[in-house]
Amino acid sequence: MFVLTGIALQALPGTDSGTLLTLFWIGFILITFFYQTRIQSYLALNDISRGLNRLKVMKDKARKEAIDYLVNVGKAPADPAQRVDQFLDYVTIMPVDIDPAGLVGKIDHIVTTNNDRVRAEVGALLGQSSPVTVSISENLLEVATSLNAIHKIVRHFYLLGKKTNSYFTLIQLQMLMPMIIQEADALLNAVDSFKVGQPVGDGIGPVVVSKYMLGKEKRVVAKDTVMAITEYKGRKLYVLKADGPMAYVGQPGVAMKKIIDEMGIKPSAIVMIDAALKLEGEKTGEIAEGVGAAIGGIGVEKFQIEEVATKAKVPLYAILVKQSILEAITVMRKEIAEAADKVVQVLNRVIEEKTKEGDEVVVAGIGNTLGVAQ
Amino acid sequence: MMSSVPGPDKKTKLLVYTIEECPACGQKTKRAFAVGDYVTKDGAQCTKCSSPTKVSLVYAESSKPSGQ
Ligand SMILES: [Zn+2]
Repeated sequence: MFVLTGIALQALPGTDSGTLLTLFWIGFILITFFYQTRIQSYLALNDISRGLNRLKVMKDKARKEAIDYLVNVGKAPADPAQRVDQFLDYVTIMPVDIDPAGLVGKIDHIVTTNNDRVRAEVGALLGQSSPVTVSISENLLEVATSLNAIHKIVRHFYLLGKKTNSYFTLIQLQMLMPMIIQEADALLNAVDSFKVGQPVGDGIGPVVVSKYMLGKEKRVVAKDTVMAITEYKGRKLYVLKADGPMAYVGQPGVAMKKIIDEMGIKPSAIVMIDAALKLEGEKTGEIAEGVGAAIGGIGVEKFQIEEVATKAKVPLYAILVKQSILEAITVMRKEIAEAADKVVQVLNRVIEEKTKEGDEVVVAGIGNTLGVAQ
Repeated sequence: MMSSVPGPDKKTKLLVYTIEECPACGQKTKRAFAVGDYVTKDGAQCTKCSSPTKVSLVYAESSKPSGQ
């Protein structure tokens, strides 16, 4: 372009194209020197605004899908749109952390209150419905709420950056945008699996332990959590998972506390099977072994499990199946499903190696148990 | 400056299957997923030994034959 400008200038009679070109370059350099951040802010604003539009489309779609499910599958007697909109803006106020002693108990209390409230509200919205439908509705509303919150926060920083003309706010937001969009995309994709009740990648733990629970008597040991007693090579196994095929995650922490503290069982090991986020470059369905409480979430369950295990001095073993965030919340991929048999082998080996005949072992399949009964 | 916001995915279509396994002879049957299927649900009769089967897995595969 500059070459063309040069040629054009040369064509003009009576001008020294060399001087003009130099002036042009000096002007260009001065403009980029003084207005560089302005120009970049402008580009960032454009970029973010495009991303923001996509987020808006996504959150509207998630809201619509939730409403459609409530109406078509849940057979909600009245139009749920207004209630759903109230639901999306419902806030959970986390407890203060300036005096951290006993904080986990407080968080647990608030989270449990919220979960109970969600279920009660969905139940009221649907009249009577199967527990599977109610649990799926809960999950769909949760997805819609998350997308709504993501959109609101991104919009806040976009408008703030625009208003205050803050270069760094905008550039930071622009840099984060691809990751935010990716996560939002994963959430929206989860809707498709949830509404038809397909097991998700996170359900690999429940899939594995369901093989041990099949045909055994099940009893409820905590909210949405069931346990069966079985035997493997002379060891007595207490196998836990959330109550399927509902989209529940259960309360494995409370369940383990009950097994160890109340039922007086002295396990010589606790083995937890869960999905774990893979790093970029790692293969989906890869199995990793380790020690410690294999459980995600806000940290309440993890804390409870660590506490009960520490108090009773029970070693904690973990078997993890690697997957991406998208794979964890959308329909289970073949690579993950096919890891189930290998996990069973690893689990059997861990039990054989770490315990002896006559021992008691707690085995917990952690994760969302949608589409996985027992 | 390149745009940092990725465009909408050209989604690879996923096909979802249900695997029914015979506890007696171990034969596995693969069929398309139907709404209401879940792991451990009772399946059809085994074609080999006519024992009742159970759903052992539900998973998705990319429709491209090469996987990905
Ligand atoms: Zn058979």
